[in-house]
Amino acid sequence: MFSWLSRLRNYLLAHPRTTILVTVVAAVTIVSTYCIPTGEPHVEVKAEPLFYIIGSAENPFFPFVNSFTIMLIADVLVIGLAFWATRNMQMVPRGLQNIVEMTIEALYNLFSTINRTYVARAFPLAATLFLYVLACNLLGLIPGVGSIGVCHEYHGSESVEGEAAAGGIFFMRAEGEEGAPADPNPYDTCPPGEILVPLFRTPSADLNFTFGIATIAWVYIEYLGFKSLGRGYLRKFFNTNGIMSVVGIFEFIGELVKLPAFAFRLFGNIFAGEVVLVVLAFLIPLFLPMPLYVFELFVAFIQAFIFAVLTMAFITVATTGHEEEHAEEHDDHATYPQREIEPEPQH
Amino acid sequence: MEALGINFNLFLAQVINFGVVVGALFYLLYKPVLKMLRDRTERIEQSLQESDQVQEQLDNARRDYDAEIARARQEAATILSQAQERARSQETEIVSQARQDADRIRTEAREQAEQERDQMLREVKDQVAGLVTMTASRVLQAELAAQGHDRLINESLEALGRQ
Repeated sequence: MFSWLSRLRNYLLAHPRTTILVTVVAAVTIVSTYCIPTGEPHVEVKAEPLFYIIGSAENPFFPFVNSFTIMLIADVLVIGLAFWATRNMQMVPRGLQNIVEMTIEALYNLFSTINRTYVARAFPLAATLFLYVLACNLLGLIPGVGSIGVCHEYHGSESVEGEAAAGGIFFMRAEGEEGAPADPNPYDTCPPGEILVPLFRTPSADLNFTFGIATIAWVYIEYLGFKSLGRGYLRKFFNTNGIMSVVGIFEFIGELVKLPAFAFRLFGNIFAGEVVLVVLAFLIPLFLPMPLYVFELFVAFIQAFIFAVLTMAFITVATTGHEEEHAEEHDDHATYPQREIEPEPQH
Repeated sequence: MEALGINFNLFLAQVINFGVVVGALFYLLYKPVLKMLRDRTERIEQSLQESDQVQEQLDNARRDYDAEIARARQEAATILSQAQERARSQETEIVSQARQDADRIRTEAREQAEQERDQMLREVKDQVAGLVTMTASRVLQAELAAQGHDRLINESLEALGRQ
């Protein structure tokens, strides 16, 4: 029953160096949990204002939120990289031009396999979705994002309780009568009554950004659908063709749901990854967050990829009419090789 | 929506920002890179076509060269055979000419020898006739008449000729 334990014991006895290394790492990890001072995890669903471009804290018409910083850095990075790579293009590519060309060609070929007809039109949007979201996601994983910030006045328990229920500011601390933390953590960098507002926040963890790009993608999908099928696009949803009329209603609802699905998928994955990293770093600061960091790198890539690929896939769905789908199905059946019936031997 | 942090102004700012990024990347990245990829593809296709054409020209040149070489070899063989033929005919001609010359020289030599012999015979005959006459006149010690003299000479000569 405990054969694996005996196997582990035998392995550790056979490899003393590995045993010592594992023991030391485990000991340091456990000790660090108690010895390394860490502030309480700051988890905030909303992008927090750093200052107000128009308006004030009481009347926040247009705040400069912390996701704008990464957004602007991503803008400069992506556009600067594009400018740098293409400023002196050579027929024989070298260096950065080579990498950029390889990336663009790979994306173009990938999108071509999804939709060959509209790839030339939709490529700038789909490729930008991938590149920009990837840049934002990766920038959000740089150490310091979410932990370097400025101290802002804490607005009390009302907002805490109200927003905690809706996923707002969430502190794992007791609250005083005035709403300010009654038992401030001695490792907090901000004085009592103030909280640390991060200077940086990845835009993918800001619903304004995810809804913004989702809206652009959705509107473009619908535009191409209308342009491709004309009134036939509406007949996909609203028709009097028996059972298809009911299916059409469901398709219409599904079409509307695409937009929030786009936005919340990206937001949920990236925000959840950040929360996991922050909480794990708070609980066990050394070593344990590292594998999760690798996993978050993968999530950052895959979410950007999914956003772009889904956009192209939805364009394909939107620009294909029901008749074409049936025709394709019919063609698929028609292309199956017909089995030849051998005549029975006559005796 | 407010609890989730969705603010219409921020949403609009993100939409505008992303639109600007799409536009910037379209002009700075996608347009030049895709154009470069297209140009390179065309150039490679053109180069391949040119390569095929050059290969075809090379094959044609090689075929022409081979044909030219074959024709030259054939001409050389023809010239050689003609030269050999001509040499053989000339040899035959020279040999026959030499034989004719030899025959002619031999004939001439023979005729000349006969003529010389005839002349020698005639001279010998004359000398013999003189000697005979002188000998006979000394032996006989008698002077013959002129007619009888000549007749005796002729008979002696005929007798010599018969011998």
